[in-house]
Amino acid sequence: MNGDSEEMTSNNIKLLAGNSHPELAELISKRLSIPLSKVGVYQYSNKETSVTIGESIRDEDVYIIQTGFGEQEINDFLMELLILIHACKTASARRITAIVPNFPYARQDKKDKSRAPITAKLVANLLQTAGCENVVTMDLHASQIQGFFRIPVNNLYAEPSVLHYIRTKTDLDNAILVSPDAGGAKRVAYLADKLDLNFALIHKERQKANEVSKMVLVGDVTNKTCLIVDDMADTCGTLVKACDTLLEHGAKEVIAIVTHGIFSGSAKEKLKNSKLARIVCTNTVPVELDLPIIDQIDISPTLAEAIRRLHNGESISYLFTHAPSE
Amino acid sequence: MSNIVVFGGDSHPDLVHKICDNLDIKPSEVHLGKFSNGETSISINESVREKDVYVIQSGCGQVNDAFMQLLILISACKSASASRVTAVMPYFCYSRQPDIPYTAKGAPVIHRPQQDGNGTKLTTRRPGADSSFKSLNSAIRSTINLENPQPDRGIAPPDLTSSKSLSRIPMIPGSKLQNSHTNGDAEDLFNAQNAGYKLWVVQAGTLIANLLTEAGADHVITMDLHDRQYPGFFDIPVDNLYCKPLAQNYIQHNIPNYQDAVIVSPDAGGAKRATAIADALELSFALIHKERRSQLLKGPPDATLTSGGTLPVSDRPLVSQPTNSVIRLSSSSSSISSITSTESRFVQTTMLVGDVRNKVCIVVDDLVDTSYTICRAARLLKEQGATKVYALITHGLFSGDALERISSSEIDQLIVSNTVPQQETVKHLGSDRVDIIDVSRVFGESIRRIHNGESISMLFEHGY
Repeated sequence: MNGDSEEMTSNNIKLLAGNSHPELAELISKRLSIPLSKVGVYQYSNKETSVTIGESIRDEDVYIIQTGFGEQEINDFLMELLILIHACKTASARRITAIVPNFPYARQDKKDKSRAPITAKLVANLLQTAGCENVVTMDLHASQIQGFFRIPVNNLYAEPSVLHYIRTKTDLDNAILVSPDAGGAKRVAYLADKLDLNFALIHKERQKANEVSKMVLVGDVTNKTCLIVDDMADTCGTLVKACDTLLEHGAKEVIAIVTHGIFSGSAKEKLKNSKLARIVCTNTVPVELDLPIIDQIDISPTLAEAIRRLHNGESISYLFTHAPSE
Repeated sequence: MSNIVVFGGDSHPDLVHKICDNLDIKPSEVHLGKFSNGETSISINESVREKDVYVIQSGCGQVNDAFMQLLILISACKSASASRVTAVMPYFCYSRQPDIPYTAKGAPVIHRPQQDGNGTKLTTRRPGADSSFKSLNSAIRSTINLENPQPDRGIAPPDLTSSKSLSRIPMIPGSKLQNSHTNGDAEDLFNAQNAGYKLWVVQAGTLIANLLTEAGADHVITMDLHDRQYPGFFDIPVDNLYCKPLAQNYIQHNIPNYQDAVIVSPDAGGAKRATAIADALELSFALIHKERRSQLLKGPPDATLTSGGTLPVSDRPLVSQPTNSVIRLSSSSSSISSITSTESRFVQTTMLVGDVRNKVCIVVDDLVDTSYTICRAARLLKEQGATKVYALITHGLFSGDALERISSSEIDQLIVSNTVPQQETVKHLGSDRVDIIDVSRVFGESIRRIHNGESISMLFEHGY
């Protein structure tokens, strides 16, 4: 930004944050050394969301950080995000990018029975209608959700950060990776290749959403440290049952590593009573559980680096395989 | 009625049943719920293929939940091959678009974590507090603390200004929700400090309209939209029904000697709506005007309390003393006192235009939310000699502690339509003091007419 002519057309990063995850927003802001913009997101007493904009974003490159979570507030946060996007649109921002580490409604991505809503598609449409021009998210439940958008979607992976964690914080000598369901086999196989470890697979028969019935283990885990890897832990029914199954088969200890630690409903009770040695999640959503076994991986460097690269028009693909250093 | 399917959201089941009773059909089966992570879940248990679908959802309660549920329902019907989907929103959420943080309409801004009592589930979440980031968080917090007294969620982490006195937008003076450091006026303070940029509030109207259209709504039915321009935000037909015929009907049948009553608009914005009723019933009309003036511009407080204007006014003092309040802008911050000390005094003046002495007053408004305006109006009317005050309201949201305020106000009789559930109101004020206008017949008839392709303009004039 030297010289007047460039300053006239200067196009800076503006970081905006909703109320869903102020800590993550602060971490990203700190990492980029860019302060969060002065916006106020409030709720009127009639429960409508109100957004106040306190600085000019005309012709700026706007990044709005809002994750999808909250047993009571997930829809409030989504509306906050939509109104923030709309606000920037009406305030003549040059480009609006939504940073949604945990994409809300990602699991409602298919018409699994008659007349079921494909809410993930609806959310994609709503974001675009509001004026979003670019989306950054992390470990989408199904990467096909990218196809629901007509705008670019940057689906980042937590895997590089997870790899780093496994390498530094766990004993690799006697470890084995475990996928808690067939859907996650690909993810686990990739990690197993990178770490040069064996992997096992648990096959579950699901009868109802959020309920798991029977589990079948494929592979030998006797006297091994099992690392269960999954994209999210919600009610933790799967995780706890998988842990029990592994211990029944002679595993030494079980560590669970998930990207999105949502921990809703009875998750706290289940985890408290479980035999998991550790449960590791990233900070794509705030973790509210007060349990000693929970450990967190900070993925804000990845998101911050993605913002920097997007702004400068550099390739993102480096981040698919590398975690920016701490 | 063939080929019609009516779904109700969970915001107002009572009204859904009443509308369906009027149509002589049953609401179609839909399961509404939430997944354990809070995401809205619906499942439609009836075929909607090639059907004319009506989804009834009022914008009340948890507004954003209700609105998302409506969008998901519409989208599900549309993707299940419904031929047409109509959103029926008796009260249209986000229809009032305050353009300043401190709204003259009296909607105080509250913050989730600090709401005590009823809002416990929204109270402070401490994300990440127990994580390995704890120390990091507190480190960040302590650095923010230098410029931001409460870097908590809901205080909007990116604060509006860097001034200590300004961590939140103030509420209406005298509000019970008010906290100690809220007596400033954020807008004026902010604008005083940031000469180049004016604080503004996002108007969500177009967004809401576009979201409904994007979800797949082909048609919208609503009632008494606050802005008459609102239907212009849509690219689809919007039928805005009126509560006016029902209100007139109520006045004629339930208010003794209504010919001598005065219709009162509690603010200038509602004057048109109130005069329409006054004209139709050939009643006299009065207007309450509320203004905030900078004392610097208008001189000392007493000087501002003049009536002014050429409208026919009563010979009584036009300004009620107790409603004058001198608001001092934040004296808590020394850093800005130099800017604001000389021009920080505002006088809030409430004026009544028209004669109400020894008259029965009917205060007409389309929307009552926090009830500050209408309670203030009722008090002013009583002070000016009104014998009885009726409040006639279309949408009674009564958020926050509105019901307590109304209950201790000078309003003798509250008449409110059931576009929003009113069970709480009746419970709080007693069934003697509250009368409910049932709008289900109007909505039922409009659905019938729209389904059959008949004109609905008759409903605008005559009600049903």
